Amino acid sequence: MTEVKLDRIGKSYGSVEAVQQFDLTIREGEFLVLLGPSGCGKSTTLRMIAGLESITKGDLMIGGTRMNDVDPKDRGVAMVFQNYALYPHKTVFDNMAMALKLQKVPAAEIQDRVGRTAELLGLTDYLHRKPAALSGGQRQRVAIGRAIVRTPDVFLFDEPLSNLDAKLRVKMRMELQELHDRLGATSVYVTHDQVEAMTLADRIVIMNGGVVAQVGTPREVYDRPADEFVAGFIGSPAMNFLDLMRDDTGRWITECGSLVLPSLPVDAGARRQVRLGVRPEHIAVTAGGQPQGDLDYQAEVLLDELLGADALLSLGVGKARLLARVGGTDHPVQGDRVAIALTAAQLHVFDADTGVALRD
Amino acid sequence: MTILQAPDRRDHPAGRSLARKRSMTQATSKRRGATYELERGYRRMIIPAILAVAIFAIVPLAGMLALSFSDYHLIRGSKGEFGFHNFARLLSDQRLVNSIYVMSVLSIFGVAAQVVIGTAVAVGLQKIVGKWRLGRVLFLVPYAVPHVAVALIWLSLFTPTLSPINAFFDLFGFTVPTFLTTQNGAMFAIIVADTWTNFPFAMLIILAALQGISTDLDEAAAIDGASRVKTFIFITLPLLMPALLMVTLFRFIDSLKHFPMIFVITKGGPGRSTQATNFYAYVQTFQNSNVAYGAAIAVLLFLMAALISFYVARLNQRVSQ
Amino acid sequence: MKHLCTTALVASFAMAAPFAPTAADAEEINVVMFGMPYTNGLRKLADDFEAETGIKANIDVIGQDVFENRITLSFTGGTGDIDVVHAPVIQVQRWVAANWLKPITAEVAAMAVKDDILKGPLDAYKINGEQYAVPFMAATGLMTYRQDVLEAAGVGVPETWAEMLEIAPQVTNDDRAAIALRAVPGQGFNMFIFPMIMRAYGGKFFADYTGGDLTPAINSPETLEALKVYIELINDYAPQGAGNFNFAEVNAAAQNGQVVFTVEGTGVVTQIVDPEKSKFADVTGIALPPGGPAGRSPAIAVHGLAIPSSAENPEASARFIEWAVSPETMTKIALAEPFSNFTTGSVAQNAEVIAKYDAVHPDFLRMQGEALNLAIGHYRPLLPDWPSLGAAIGENINAAVNGLMSPEDALAAAEQEMKDILGQ
Repeated sequence: MTEVKLDRIGKSYGSVEAVQQFDLTIREGEFLVLLGPSGCGKSTTLRMIAGLESITKGDLMIGGTRMNDVDPKDRGVAMVFQNYALYPHKTVFDNMAMALKLQKVPAAEIQDRVGRTAELLGLTDYLHRKPAALSGGQRQRVAIGRAIVRTPDVFLFDEPLSNLDAKLRVKMRMELQELHDRLGATSVYVTHDQVEAMTLADRIVIMNGGVVAQVGTPREVYDRPADEFVAGFIGSPAMNFLDLMRDDTGRWITECGSLVLPSLPVDAGARRQVRLGVRPEHIAVTAGGQPQGDLDYQAEVLLDELLGADALLSLGVGKARLLARVGGTDHPVQGDRVAIALTAAQLHVFDADTGVALRD
Repeated sequence: MTILQAPDRRDHPAGRSLARKRSMTQATSKRRGATYELERGYRRMIIPAILAVAIFAIVPLAGMLALSFSDYHLIRGSKGEFGFHNFARLLSDQRLVNSIYVMSVLSIFGVAAQVVIGTAVAVGLQKIVGKWRLGRVLFLVPYAVPHVAVALIWLSLFTPTLSPINAFFDLFGFTVPTFLTTQNGAMFAIIVADTWTNFPFAMLIILAALQGISTDLDEAAAIDGASRVKTFIFITLPLLMPALLMVTLFRFIDSLKHFPMIFVITKGGPGRSTQATNFYAYVQTFQNSNVAYGAAIAVLLFLMAALISFYVARLNQRVSQ
Repeated sequence: MKHLCTTALVASFAMAAPFAPTAADAEEINVVMFGMPYTNGLRKLADDFEAETGIKANIDVIGQDVFENRITLSFTGGTGDIDVVHAPVIQVQRWVAANWLKPITAEVAAMAVKDDILKGPLDAYKINGEQYAVPFMAATGLMTYRQDVLEAAGVGVPETWAEMLEIAPQVTNDDRAAIALRAVPGQGFNMFIFPMIMRAYGGKFFADYTGGDLTPAINSPETLEALKVYIELINDYAPQGAGNFNFAEVNAAAQNGQVVFTVEGTGVVTQIVDPEKSKFADVTGIALPPGGPAGRSPAIAVHGLAIPSSAENPEASARFIEWAVSPETMTKIALAEPFSNFTTGSVAQNAEVIAKYDAVHPDFLRMQGEALNLAIGHYRPLLPDWPSLGAAIGENINAAVNGLMSPEDALAAAEQEMKDILGQ
């Protein structure tokens, strides 16, 4: 059980900075997820922790020791790769036993440890097969088993589920969760899938363009996104954004005057322009109703899409467009006129220029 | 030919789904019909290739076989004898025994050197990225030089009066030994020339095979605690095995045809101590006009090559499984 | 049976040779030769022939090894794709025995140029009273020596191989050996040179070649003595590695001043004394090859042009040969290429040709003439089996030179192999 400390870590390739000033302490036993779009630097960060990429700037401390120049094998880390990286010419047993053999662990102990790990992962019957004879999910389990069997201080996962089909992904995600609960090892998990991030993480680090955009629990990043990027990235479907301008009377109106807000839920200071964020699931829709409160509006359903339990409505409020998520039964359909209601507490306001969330 | 498959093919999602598709088509009879149509189409496409092989390989081979049983002599013609007399003579031919020895030494050491050097250079080149990658082309140059020219280059390098190597060591008062006037030295010279011109072939194939090995495996091994050397021995090398076997087979069979190097560098000398079997077949056929006997030697050579191919193909199958 | 065999032979070597073009019509002929100054020069003049006769000549000049495969394929198959072929005198007996060449006695008799051709080389192509080829060149053996070195050492030009052995240690120093001689095995390599020593000591290939007794007689005390001289010269007085020297290495050693003496064919000698190629050319003298107790026998190699028996248009072939050995064509090549050993006599009277070769070396044409007079036509026996005999002897001689076997054993082995080849 080990704490991992990234002290202003940076990575550059020539003049290109792939990761800038990554500053974070991963707590003992924590499950940390690095989330972001491709190219955001999350994998590079993970590989720097693993020792597969050199660290250009800053210090990496694992369990209190500086690890910048330590070989991967001496960092006490184990890694699960996106495409499993199983040794195709070795059996499942040998794949899992490789690290132990290299550590010159006695054969009997290897047998025992691999056996127990295989049991844990339901691989006992497959130990003598080669990876080619396994299904995708089984291979992923072998890859995980190879990491577990070494009882490392830190687990590193590099998009481990992205090669699996959707159903299997959900199943494996749950298995990973259970496994973490059981083992309790410090884990760093890279993904671009926000569902994996939200469900697995103790804390999520959202990265964008090599920079950490926000660090927080799933709740925090959902409820209080630090900026427009995080707000837009977390949540599905994505948050609605509307540009608002303050008129002379202090009201905030959209460009064409379709939406008018008497005031903002936060202090916008001297700003004359802000960006408003509303999550689709935070728009209350009443069929045929009339606007009553300050934040109620008349809207027309331009498009309706049934997802099953939910439906998505594309709404026109004057010239403004909003996406709303409503219950999947008896929802308004295309052409219906509806009333929508927003809740002040669920509105997000961002600086129009910097995108930083405004808070009181 | 399984030998041509990249080692991790079946590990690849596309390869896997293909394999699955194949087994599925075998399960459903309706689709089997479609596959059969497809296969018939494919079969028709290889007819020209089969014809070409028949005309350019099988017919000459049959001709050579027929000749080897005859007593045809370019000058003296034929007395009509037809049988195993040439093969009986092979058994007691001391020159043939020596030629097989020479061929084995040249092929075994030459191919071993080519594969080892080719692999080493391929591994080295694979690590080079960026604009220096173009340097790879440099290593292909020897392969592009015609064999006769290669032989001439090495003949002069091994001729003490012409060789810059000798001139260089002469400056320091060292005398480089003469290679071409002893059997072992001459075989060494031929092996060097052969290796120089043919290692790029091994290098190319190994380089392609290396590129087919995911870098993730190296990284996984690094994290598992393997040093670079151990990673190479325990991970890379086993995965290169099919490619290595293929290169060795191709080069070995090709190397049985030793001719230009010997013809230019030693003319079979000193004495006739570097007359490899193929060269000896040439001597019997063209120099001594003994066409039938030359054909018998060629048949023997063909059988040896076929035998080696067969065993290597079997070995390859075992390695692939 | 023979037909079956030849078809099979053609089939089995079909992949070995490049596909030869076939003459499309009567007005086109294919000429196949291997590379040397004359053939290279002739190729450049192909347009002249067409302008003169309206016949297009495709002159193919290829490497000697490719040449052998190519013609064997063409002749055994009787494909008729070669109309004129380069015929070294050493091969012609064998080719005639195999029925590969067309007798051209009548055609040659009708050629205006016939009386201008040196009689010795022309007669070398006469077999059983029939003419089979017309010579274009006769290379002979000559010795080159470094005048400056001999003067400095105070010794004269050796007249015999024994004198050569005496002088050799006196002209050798750390940077320079006494002599370079071809040693690499082959009837055209060491067997072009060694018979000069053998015949000087009275050695011979057969009991009585001219008398028709073809009992191998190479294992004689005379040949043994000659072989020991050859071995001593190469091992003690030639540069390092000389046991594998061919003419190219001999030539380079002389041009680079690494040796004092060489005995070589005229084709190489012209390059050794050519000021443009050798910085020692102006201090290099030319003499006849050394002799011995049994006299002096310069090497000779005759090359000519012949018509394959399968040629489809022998008249056009004959016209080509007549043009190719005509004084006009010869003179052009002698002036354009390093080609001095022409066999069309009147070329030697051409003032430009004389001037050119006098400029290279004043003694050259004269010494060449003298050597040709001394040379015997059957310097290397004119027999169908000579190529295999020469190879077998050459390989054993080379083995003795490089210490793989004793001189005695080498000659015994050579004689036995000669008997085997001749079926005795």
